[in-house]
Amino acid sequence: MRPRARRHGGTDARGVVLAALVLAMTPVALHAQSATGLAVYAKGWAIRNVTIVPVTGPRIEHGTVVIRDGKIVAAGADAAPQAGDSVLDGTGLFVYPGLIDAGTRLGLTEISSVPGGEDQQELGDFNPQDAALDAVNPNSELIPVTRSNGVTTAITSPRGGLVSGQAALMDLLGWTPQELAVRAPAAMVMTYPSTGGGGRFGRRARQGGAEQVNRQVLALKAYLGDAKAYADIKARLAAGAPGTQKTDLAMEAMVPVVRGEEPVIFDVETAEQIQGVLALADSFGLKVILRGAHEAWRLADTLAARHVPVIVGPTTTEVGPDEPYDEIYANPGVLAKAGVTIAFQTNDAHGSRDLPYNAALAEAYGLSADDAIKALTINAAQIFGVADRLGSIEPGKEATLIVTDGDPLDARYGPRYVFIRGALVPFDDRHTREYEEFRARPKP
Amino acid sequence: MAAAVGAATLLLLVVAGVARAQQPAPFTMPIPPAAHLVAITNGTILTVSHGTIEHGTIVIRDGRIAAVGAHVAVPAGAQVIDATGRYVMPGIIDEHSHSALEVVNEITNAIDPEVRMADAVKQDMPAIYYQLAGGVTMIHVLHGSANAIGGQNVLLKLKWGLPVDSLVVQGVPASIKFALGENPKESNFQAFAGHPRYPQTRMGVEEIIRDAFTRAVAYRTEWQQYDAARRALRRGQAEPIPPRRDLQLDALVEMLDGRRWVHSHAYRADEMLMLLKVAHDFGFHLASFEHVLEGYKIADEIAAAHVGASIFADFWGYKLEAWDAIPYDAALLTQRGVRVAVNSDDDERARRLYQEAAKTMHFGGVSETDALKMITLNPAWMLGIEDRVGSIDVGKDADIAIFSGHPFAPASRVEMTLVDGRVFFDRTTAPTLDYLMQQLTEQREHGGPARAERGQQ
Repeated sequence: MRPRARRHGGTDARGVVLAALVLAMTPVALHAQSATGLAVYAKGWAIRNVTIVPVTGPRIEHGTVVIRDGKIVAAGADAAPQAGDSVLDGTGLFVYPGLIDAGTRLGLTEISSVPGGEDQQELGDFNPQDAALDAVNPNSELIPVTRSNGVTTAITSPRGGLVSGQAALMDLLGWTPQELAVRAPAAMVMTYPSTGGGGRFGRRARQGGAEQVNRQVLALKAYLGDAKAYADIKARLAAGAPGTQKTDLAMEAMVPVVRGEEPVIFDVETAEQIQGVLALADSFGLKVILRGAHEAWRLADTLAARHVPVIVGPTTTEVGPDEPYDEIYANPGVLAKAGVTIAFQTNDAHGSRDLPYNAALAEAYGLSADDAIKALTINAAQIFGVADRLGSIEPGKEATLIVTDGDPLDARYGPRYVFIRGALVPFDDRHTREYEEFRARPKP
Repeated sequence: MAAAVGAATLLLLVVAGVARAQQPAPFTMPIPPAAHLVAITNGTILTVSHGTIEHGTIVIRDGRIAAVGAHVAVPAGAQVIDATGRYVMPGIIDEHSHSALEVVNEITNAIDPEVRMADAVKQDMPAIYYQLAGGVTMIHVLHGSANAIGGQNVLLKLKWGLPVDSLVVQGVPASIKFALGENPKESNFQAFAGHPRYPQTRMGVEEIIRDAFTRAVAYRTEWQQYDAARRALRRGQAEPIPPRRDLQLDALVEMLDGRRWVHSHAYRADEMLMLLKVAHDFGFHLASFEHVLEGYKIADEIAAAHVGASIFADFWGYKLEAWDAIPYDAALLTQRGVRVAVNSDDDERARRLYQEAAKTMHFGGVSETDALKMITLNPAWMLGIEDRVGSIDVGKDADIAIFSGHPFAPASRVEMTLVDGRVFFDRTTAPTLDYLMQQLTEQREHGGPARAERGQQ
């Protein structure tokens, strides 16, 4: 059963109207933020008479979600607000966890063609020491635009080379990069070499003949071997062995990776690359997460048995001439049915707000509605080790959630309210501002 | 290389589409049979022009819609397509495509209206089939945007598997591509690396267009004088010498005469106002702005000039002139009376234009009918063929997409696509991943060569 609700009013001026409404009900602190618009921080919120989709449990009709000090304190049919809570009427609306884009370049790009704002890719093949969070611009105009469509949390990744650097998981609200960060580093980003080419965003970046690929694989293995040796020496020194070790920032960044403590996101496409990644994982004790992986369906049972998660997408990727026409859409459903934990990525920045529509294309070709919403929320949280904080509507979790007028995967509907860590975030972004300005233009 | 790609896909189609037999099919092009009489029954019909018909029937005779309604009888002998539980809508028209081409841009000259995309059509590109699988039946194939005045566009129906001439739509207004802004002024690339060509500014873009039309007006006058001299010729007088033929100016004269419609790539509001003025001054027909990212800033001016807006749903930020693009563009333009199309500009996006159109309902509250028009009737109007395609109406071409559910709903997909009443895509016989997986399973269980690795034979 799909949620449906009538739109009440347009999406216009929601933020402004809402803020006024909230202020009328109860005094709340307002914090003006250049990057975040006017986020409304109340001590307590209650969203009443709303359909709750907890994701980790059955749907609750006519429920109430109570938020206090940034956390969900109650969610259910019996949950009751306390005196002083700001109350929102959720009649006809739905509460979902905030959507998580498991692969973006948010904060690392502004206007793609203007080099000054581009901080995605360093020179060279091995840059584990570079951390995305260090370059994230918390005032990027893309961040409010993205969260206005319900994407509240995102992995932002460096790219390029074989070891691109460290990805960060961030909430899309905060004054500084550190405030945005949910977990940083969230994972090391690597690309497994491939002879494959193409892909609109250079996802299949490693091109070349088999010989070149072999050279790159050998280089990657040698690098991981070095890191392993560095980590071993470090451990022996720590255990009291005599000797010294020169600090190498790249190697330091690799230590938690080869110890299996920090996961590796491997950007791959083909089954051959995936097999290569699994072999590396065995050889070097890596905890791997596959990303992209449009051919992962060929190894679905293996990946399920080995508990290797897959971040699929973007499903808006051009199809190769030798691929089934619906492979990119059908792959996620095959993986989920086989028991693989999947999440979605847009591998984009400006287009990150389209994350749920990526999942919709997968749903049309075999992914169940339940698996689709899990992939967009709790699964991504699990993959990055933050399922105790994000990804579902449960007491104790951070109040990062969206209140929508329909299924978030349905392009016709969208969020009516967005909460990030308990703050109500008005829909005040570059696009709504332009909309309001020119909607009001008098007839010439 | 391109031929190999095409061949691989053709084989892929043959295997999946024609033969699920034991032996791999020989390498032949599967041309769907031309049905004289077809009936699509019991579907939810989104006519686009006159509402929704529940449990409706469409009768197709010789490629045209002969009847549509809730109480239409199925004629004897008709090939029946049962659409129970399905949604039937007009085939999607992609007003801005660069698909099915060997080459997109004759990039070297800033003015090149003499080149023709019809000369570069490659009708066996897999992208055509993939777009059919997304419900697209017609594409307006444009010249690239590196030139202030670009080449001559071509309109194709996606009759996958037929010879190229069968794809080209005849009897429609001729069309030409213009481009304004960063692309013609070489902001992000150079036609000749290290050697900039004129224009390098928006001043130059306007000037070079005016210059071309100024030359065209003079050229037309020369021909008019020549024709007049010939008409006045008396026996015994010397034949007048004709002006030297100029293919570039010929195309421009077609525009001056209103026989060739202009579709202009345009991002910024100011340059659209510029071209509206140029069009007014020279009297050519500006059929649509393409992309129109800042169209919402001057919706009234565009509406007053009866120019269409062929847009992206929500693509933005990829270059400076795309910085003011907003997903509310469609809504604001529609509210002020501009006819809007949602286009792809891209083989991948073309596969999901129905989802792109749906976004306009969320961003600014466009009605469902208006959103549907953006991929059907509105592009048809911009192309001057609103009387032939774009809605489910008697007399129109039977270009039809059949979806598993409402085309805007997230779980819906295209099940079947008809062009001129012929089924050019049918998911039940298509090379799907599901089918490939069945083949692989069979191969594992029974051994022997599978047809799974289609195209590898």
